[in-house]
Amino acid sequence: MEETEKDRNIRILHSGVFTPLRRWATKWSLWPCHFLTSCCGVELAHTGACGYDMERLGTLNMGISRQTNFIMVEGTITRKMARALRIVWEQMPDPKFVNVIGACGQRGGIFWNSYNITRPSDIVPVDFFVPGCPITPESLLRGVRAVQEKIEGRDNTTIRFKHVELPSGDGEENRAPTTPKIFAPTPLVRVDVPRDVDWAFGNDLVKNLKAQLKGLYTSITITDKNRIAIKTTPENLVETSRKLSDTMGVDHVKNVNVIDVPHERKFMVEYMVSGYTEELMPVILTIFTEIGREAEPEIPSLTSLWESANYSERELHDFFGVQFKGNEGMKGKFLLAPDTPDTPLRKDFKLEEEQYTIEDGVPLTSAITPPHYMPPSSSLSYSESELEDLKMPAYEDVLKEAEKNDEFVAFIGPHHSGSGHLRWVMRMKGDIIKDVIPDPGYVHRSMEKIAENRLYIQNVPLTERPNITDPINMNLGYVRAIENALGIEVPERAKYIRTIMAELSRIGAFFYDMGIFPLFMGHSTGFMYSFAIREMVLELMVRMTGSRCTPSFIIPGGIRRDISDDVLDRTRKFTTAIHKRLKKYENIFVYNPVLISRMKEVGVLTREEAIRCGIVGPFLRASGVEYDVRKAEPYEVYDKLDWEATTGDAGDCLGRIFGRLEEMKQSVKIVRQAVDAVQEMPRDGVISEEILGDYKEASGDIRGYLYNVYGDLVLPKGEWTSVTEAARGTVLYSIISDGESNVPYRVRIITPCWMNLRGIIEASKGERVADFWTVYASFGYFPPEADR
Amino acid sequence: MEVINTLMETVMSNQVSIPLIEPMLDLLPEIPMLQYMVAFMLWKPLFAILICPGLTVGGITLLFFPWIERKLCGRAQWRVGPHEIVWWLGGVIQILADTLRFLFQEVIVHKDAHRPYFLQFPFLSFMIFLLPLLFIPAGTIVAIQTPYAIQIILALVCLFPLFILGLGWASNSRFAYIGTVREAFVYFAYEIPFIIAAIAMIILYGTSDPLLMASRQSIPGIILNPIAALVFFIGAAMATSRMPFEIAESDQELCAGPHVEYSGIAFGLIYVLCYEKAYILSALMTILFLGGGSGPAIAGLGDLSGVFWFVVKTYLVLTTLFMLRTVYPRYRLDQGLKLGWSPMLCLALIGLAISLVVVAVRVI
Amino acid sequence: MKSMKKVVGPEYNLGEKIKTNVYAVGVAMQESVYPHTATVFYPRERKKMPDNFRGFILFDPDKCISCFNCSFVCPANAIRMKEAPNKRYYPTVDYGRCIFCHFCIDSCSGGALKATKIHDVAYKDMDEMFTPTEEMIELPEIIREDKKYVEYEIEEDDLHLKRTKGEDYLFVDVPPPIQIPMVSQCIDRASCIGCRVCEEMCESGAISSSAENGMLRMKIDTDKCTGCGLCVKECSMQILKLERK
Repeated sequence: MEETEKDRNIRILHSGVFTPLRRWATKWSLWPCHFLTSCCGVELAHTGACGYDMERLGTLNMGISRQTNFIMVEGTITRKMARALRIVWEQMPDPKFVNVIGACGQRGGIFWNSYNITRPSDIVPVDFFVPGCPITPESLLRGVRAVQEKIEGRDNTTIRFKHVELPSGDGEENRAPTTPKIFAPTPLVRVDVPRDVDWAFGNDLVKNLKAQLKGLYTSITITDKNRIAIKTTPENLVETSRKLSDTMGVDHVKNVNVIDVPHERKFMVEYMVSGYTEELMPVILTIFTEIGREAEPEIPSLTSLWESANYSERELHDFFGVQFKGNEGMKGKFLLAPDTPDTPLRKDFKLEEEQYTIEDGVPLTSAITPPHYMPPSSSLSYSESELEDLKMPAYEDVLKEAEKNDEFVAFIGPHHSGSGHLRWVMRMKGDIIKDVIPDPGYVHRSMEKIAENRLYIQNVPLTERPNITDPINMNLGYVRAIENALGIEVPERAKYIRTIMAELSRIGAFFYDMGIFPLFMGHSTGFMYSFAIREMVLELMVRMTGSRCTPSFIIPGGIRRDISDDVLDRTRKFTTAIHKRLKKYENIFVYNPVLISRMKEVGVLTREEAIRCGIVGPFLRASGVEYDVRKAEPYEVYDKLDWEATTGDAGDCLGRIFGRLEEMKQSVKIVRQAVDAVQEMPRDGVISEEILGDYKEASGDIRGYLYNVYGDLVLPKGEWTSVTEAARGTVLYSIISDGESNVPYRVRIITPCWMNLRGIIEASKGERVADFWTVYASFGYFPPEADR
Repeated sequence: MEVINTLMETVMSNQVSIPLIEPMLDLLPEIPMLQYMVAFMLWKPLFAILICPGLTVGGITLLFFPWIERKLCGRAQWRVGPHEIVWWLGGVIQILADTLRFLFQEVIVHKDAHRPYFLQFPFLSFMIFLLPLLFIPAGTIVAIQTPYAIQIILALVCLFPLFILGLGWASNSRFAYIGTVREAFVYFAYEIPFIIAAIAMIILYGTSDPLLMASRQSIPGIILNPIAALVFFIGAAMATSRMPFEIAESDQELCAGPHVEYSGIAFGLIYVLCYEKAYILSALMTILFLGGGSGPAIAGLGDLSGVFWFVVKTYLVLTTLFMLRTVYPRYRLDQGLKLGWSPMLCLALIGLAISLVVVAVRVI
Repeated sequence: MKSMKKVVGPEYNLGEKIKTNVYAVGVAMQESVYPHTATVFYPRERKKMPDNFRGFILFDPDKCISCFNCSFVCPANAIRMKEAPNKRYYPTVDYGRCIFCHFCIDSCSGGALKATKIHDVAYKDMDEMFTPTEEMIELPEIIREDKKYVEYEIEEDDLHLKRTKGEDYLFVDVPPPIQIPMVSQCIDRASCIGCRVCEEMCESGAISSSAENGMLRMKIDTDKCTGCGLCVKECSMQILKLERK
């Protein structure tokens, strides 16, 4: 039998005079090259932090491929990332080992039928697979232990199942059921379904709009409270938008969306815009138009008017092949890899269907084609052409231009200890950054395409996957859009518990960002301290929901089950316990004079710049815009509790960090109040009876009836948009339903990090090279969240 | 024969005296040859090279100090550090495992590297970095005693960055390039105040012979001239790329800068280089500011008493130097340079002035 | 929006600089002497997970009504049903896909699927990650090196780690969920076209057909009906409905 690459590493260890010594040394010195591809990286960070302290086992996390001998593939390897994985693996000295942690890297997990994923096992030889989504730190360490034992010569799976014979009998052969998903054959897709709402300001606004846009619009409809849809023609689109921008004070784009309607041979293009003036703040105006469904349909771009639409337009160009005329990034791909299918979000591109039964001999999943540039695993050397194929694209034009201007170009990422999973092409002159060109999409897992192929309830776990550091808020946005569509009122107790969890989640996300920030500054103590506090938050999470990072706990109409008094009591204690460790964290890191000097007046975004770039959330507030969804358009019980949103006007890294610090303290305050309120409430159900229907008894705990209740959820026709204040800013979900299918027609997810990307670029221009990481970390950029 | 006799005389006249083991030594003449070997071993210059501050103590420092650092940092960071390898000893041989692993790992020389220099520099710099140890006395034991020891040590210390530049240049990588340039900048920023601080002490003691310096520190230098001590300490932190001055290597920005392309034992050597550098600079700090090997004599140890105090003090400085990592984040390049060129230079000059004043007071 | 709190970052003068430096060094020194260690020494001890922890899944064939709900609701399509020797469909789990959301357990009205606290497992091979029904019935064995278990106790002052000697249990048997008896009912007999899909679907044999004057007549035995809803879903005329008993 031919020797595989996997065996080769073990053979290297077992050959030569010093075999025992070699094995012993390698066993205790497995340095992982952290391959933080996606969400499992959060748990890797926890394993490295003081909660579990991976260094105990001699496993010191290091970012540099040449000096490490162990890769932990944390989750999804997208088609774009596959190349980086191979390169990193090739860069590492022998002997080397690979563990794949998280379901995404095995058979795809929740992204199993995504168009953009590959299997790490096709790309590099894998020693162990650790299941979980995400894995727990314990299972990650179990994977390390398994490799250690493998080095010693025991190559075993660490679980042993007991085989029990199933009852035999002579029942009748039954037919296997078909899919539970219902797709309307000719769905009626409309985004301007009128709705009667009690909204006086809206009626005035519509009158005003009609007067302003005379002759430019086709129709103006109130679709919901705070939502107005303006239909126009492609020719009038720019003019309409200019009018809105000039006369109404509309200053930013919240979302750009394209909807493919193949049976009507059209694309609908919509821009969701709003303004940061006091009365316009909660309002979302949807300007939409229809264009013919050709191979390369064209529509004028609004980038020149609203810079914030830029990246979203480029993204949609990738997804649908729509040309936004006037946007410079219409050549080539932005988010997708060169070998991902073209225009994957068009309806005629079909994903693999779910199978509900299994037969002997039929493979579990159809094979995902590995990227074409992978050399055959048996050959250990590359031919010249294969080598060329393996190289990352080099931006020849940028290099040429930089040479002309006497600039230096550095390619940072996607595998870099301080890049996250994003590639930055940094042009610098001396120590000053001239320009940064982002190359996102290394964690693009086709969330939107998958969402329109799954039941509404199945999208609940999906929507929290972009950002498992802040899962509850991500979930809440999606669920609120559904509740709003169905007109369901959530029980009071559930509302309070949701608020508690959302704020805990916000605290958790803050400490995640404030743990990564010290790492970028080279301050490992700050990382450890903040992750210790985060470990407390996760302890509460796991006690409430049963999962550390991915609770999937908020479902339409309430929460999955009531939480016990013991956990509430712990949460209450947490609000005081946090302060002791927080104080130490602040003293050693936040108020550290070195850090203050690093942050002060670095990466300044003025109010105008911030709005122009379209940044959101605490970062926008730090630049002086007083917009917090929780105040502007209160949801859950935020309007009943006593708290303050934060704002600032410096707009630098210091302002952003201290703004968030204060916001976190306010969150603790909110949790405290909400817990006090919940503890006095009767336990009378946490799921709305309207949605439970026949299953009213399950209102305290959905166990047993989740599918029965939610399986056939159908949303009324129209577009349902919700905005939620997640930890890093406004998360926007826009669900389009045709009123017949029990799967959404289109789900558009705009995550805060995606919007903040433009801000990071703008803020880092003109700063020094090292400041790029300060700016980057001060925005709490989380690539899986941005790429979706 | 005469040659051997003269040699033996020289050797015997300059022996490390350890009262505790003298009874044992008295037994030795009965065993042929061994007495000569022991005598050689205890010959001060050789003792200095082989035992302390030379190879043995140096080796122990390189092998166990990273462990101490990792354990201490772990402790301060609410975790434990290396532990499982021999858990009942707290993972004390962790660094041995790491070193052996590096030793047995493939050394990759990538296509763009300048192959000869890429491979030579780690080994060459390791050798050069050992040279200052010849001039550093542990108590009264020193390999080469010269009145210009401090100047020679400083000159050798100033050579270090050149090798780092060589490493970076031979790597021929973008990150290594940026890192190397940063190293060069930082080098100029700390070198001048650092040397001025050392000169301040030479003026203060009126000699640059480390042995004399130790004897003149009835009050340790750090109390006589705290400003110079501070400057010297910060300079040492900058020279060894410790936080907050880990500007050239900055892991998250430049992936360890000049070292980015090194693998296997070549990286292993570079990895210990910074500890070696820190060890030498701490030893120098001990001599200049902490009275070298002076301290209450410990009965029975004889000359080793000085060695003991020297090692303890050096480790104290080393620990402080490494614990900076738990307290400070990294400065930006321009901030580091600014710090070096203005406040540190000013402080160094003030230190110099203080020395002059102290000398003047002493004369008057 | 007048209630917003303005946050201003600190500005240090020399005195404050020295003070903050001293504070930072102070914390480091204090913690290295008397640390607030929060480390769990896995694998020699393990963190006690709460009883509702979402880990590997166990299955009890006696309680299964083969309703396919677990398979339908699984967001990752990790659960697929396999025909057992007794011709009934039982779930299998592919841990290479499972995301441990436990939607399946929350959808299992009979309580046949149960959660364990097992989660620390490493597989050598991806093919082994598929777990057939036969292997889901008894609690599997995992490598356990733990001699103690640790609980994170959040007290009012701080986080404390409580260590207890002994092994943490990995399986908590919870009572089955509240029973809400449902039966399938035909709401529009006249529309029945007699395709017999419902009969073919029914796993419990509650639906039978008989020919009456050349017409096929379907009958639902409400006692046998488990309320699984498969017939309702598959009915080609959509005339069946789940109703409360």
